[in-house]
Amino acid sequence: MLTHDALAQRIGPPALLGWPRVRVALLASFVFALFLRPNFVLPFYVVLSRAMVVGFAALLAFGLFERWPARLPRWFARWVLQVLAIVLAVPLGAYLAYWLTTGGHPQLGAVSGRLQGYVELTFSGILFASWIVVGALVRQRDAFAREQETAFALERSELERRALDARFRLLQAQVEPHFLFNTLANVQALVEVGAPQAAKVLKSLIAYLRAAVPRLHETVTTLDQELELVRAYLELMHIRMPDRLMFEIRVDATLLKLQCPPMTVLTLVENAVRHGIDPSETGGIIVIELRLESSRCLASVTNTGVGLKMTGRGLGTGLASLRERLQLAFGAEAQLVLSEVVPHGLRAEVSFPARKTQP
Amino acid sequence: MTAQRPTALIAEDEPLLRESLEQQLSLVWPALAVVARARNGREAIDQFDEHHPDVCFLDVHMPGVTGIEAARHIGHRAHLVFVTAYDQYAVQAFAQGVLDYLVKPVDATRLAQTVARLQERLRTAMSAVNTEVLLQELAATLERQSAAAPLRWIRASVGQTVTLIPVQDVDFLRAEEKYTLVMWHEAGGNVREAIIRTPLKELAAQLDATQFAQVHRSVIVNLSSIARVVRGSNETANVHLKGRLEVLPVSRSYLHLFHQM
Repeated sequence: MLTHDALAQRIGPPALLGWPRVRVALLASFVFALFLRPNFVLPFYVVLSRAMVVGFAALLAFGLFERWPARLPRWFARWVLQVLAIVLAVPLGAYLAYWLTTGGHPQLGAVSGRLQGYVELTFSGILFASWIVVGALVRQRDAFAREQETAFALERSELERRALDARFRLLQAQVEPHFLFNTLANVQALVEVGAPQAAKVLKSLIAYLRAAVPRLHETVTTLDQELELVRAYLELMHIRMPDRLMFEIRVDATLLKLQCPPMTVLTLVENAVRHGIDPSETGGIIVIELRLESSRCLASVTNTGVGLKMTGRGLGTGLASLRERLQLAFGAEAQLVLSEVVPHGLRAEVSFPARKTQP
Repeated sequence: MTAQRPTALIAEDEPLLRESLEQQLSLVWPALAVVARARNGREAIDQFDEHHPDVCFLDVHMPGVTGIEAARHIGHRAHLVFVTAYDQYAVQAFAQGVLDYLVKPVDATRLAQTVARLQERLRTAMSAVNTEVLLQELAATLERQSAAAPLRWIRASVGQTVTLIPVQDVDFLRAEEKYTLVMWHEAGGNVREAIIRTPLKELAAQLDATQFAQVHRSVIVNLSSIARVVRGSNETANVHLKGRLEVLPVSRSYLHLFHQM
């Protein structure tokens, strides 16, 4: 929660002499003058101008201590300062009012009734101004609360937008026409020669598509479901490059019901195929390992493909968006670490808090 | 015009697709003899040099040497047909040029049309239409696709392993004689540092210019890591970073970067 002061600083105080405030001061002074009138023998305009000077002195004091000093000690509330300032400003304003309306000679002690008038103006001014100040502060508090609510709503919607963006990018990354058409070309090839493998490949493709598509709407899936998707993908890729791709999945069965943000392991595996195995003439092996370590879930994907070129260009859209998704799901608690494999290859490891799915 | 059967080479890294294309060709062009099969661009070049086929079917995306690169080696010495899966850029480039191409999965009608065109060219002993300029452009397009993106990871040895540091986690880079010091933070906020051999100048050229700015002859800073820039006297300024104690100097010639800040 933002404190009242911090928020006031962030959105800034209202204009010192903005029309809404001046209007209130004018109106209050007028009412104040009407209230004072029976006690004075002077013409109304003199009383009114005195009331107005006092009113504006109070307004200035209120506005001035609303913004200065910028920081106050924690134990000292700003409204206390503002009320104190008004208590001081009203007598000064009243003196100024007399000074102005008497042509620079207030002579409070000398002229009969003047001191009494000054005291009356001061005390009733303080009483009057205090009530208005309390009213203003209450109103302001409400305004701040509304402002704060809007600020939080904005922040929330910004987070939601980022989550949506990440999901949208996931969708775009997922519909990989190159992958789909190449795989379909393989299915076609198998069907044409009447190979019994065709049915199996088609089954893997369907499993992959079925597993992939509804995940876009889910925010959490289980490691079990994730692995199913990974297997379907790897089986398809194995059909396409049987001589170049080998894979191995090592998983602790107790992990299978744990939560896993969709496409986490798959992104690592796709990355390993696309940037490790596919560009290599001789191919390599992909090892997927899932384990639990001090209540964190560790998923690593190691491939012995080409590894990275000097600068690491080309690798990354998938991994960058995975990092973003993990951050949105777990904040600082998730990590993605990449390291090189000797003599060539890449190891990618994600770790995130192990959580059971809700039954 | 010889009575010999026309010969062909098929270069395709996926074995099923290689066999399938050969099968389809045997149906629409029974006279064609597939004399060579290659699994990548390097093998395609070797096989071509050995067999000198009349027609080469080349998959564009192959490991190592690509189909385009193999085509540049073959040049005018054979009629070329490129084969590609859905690939917007490549298909656009082919459609603009006069090169023959097939899209995977290969459609029988389309293959028959391509074969008819090839037979016509072989019959009239027309020379191959492959132009070096076109191939060069294609090669450049493919190269751009894979290399145009700015640097995303920096390789650094941390202890025994080589780690890849995501560039967005890098706070700043400082040249230290022959090396570059990489100062970065982990996702959890822990600050880390690493030394790499790549000179700062080389890195500067690869970094995303909207994310990183050189503020000093020897310092490049991540703009999103800057907490504030404090102006000093005599046309200097210091950069203060989020979550770090280091203060980086901004030299006079880079000061203009922060005029608006």
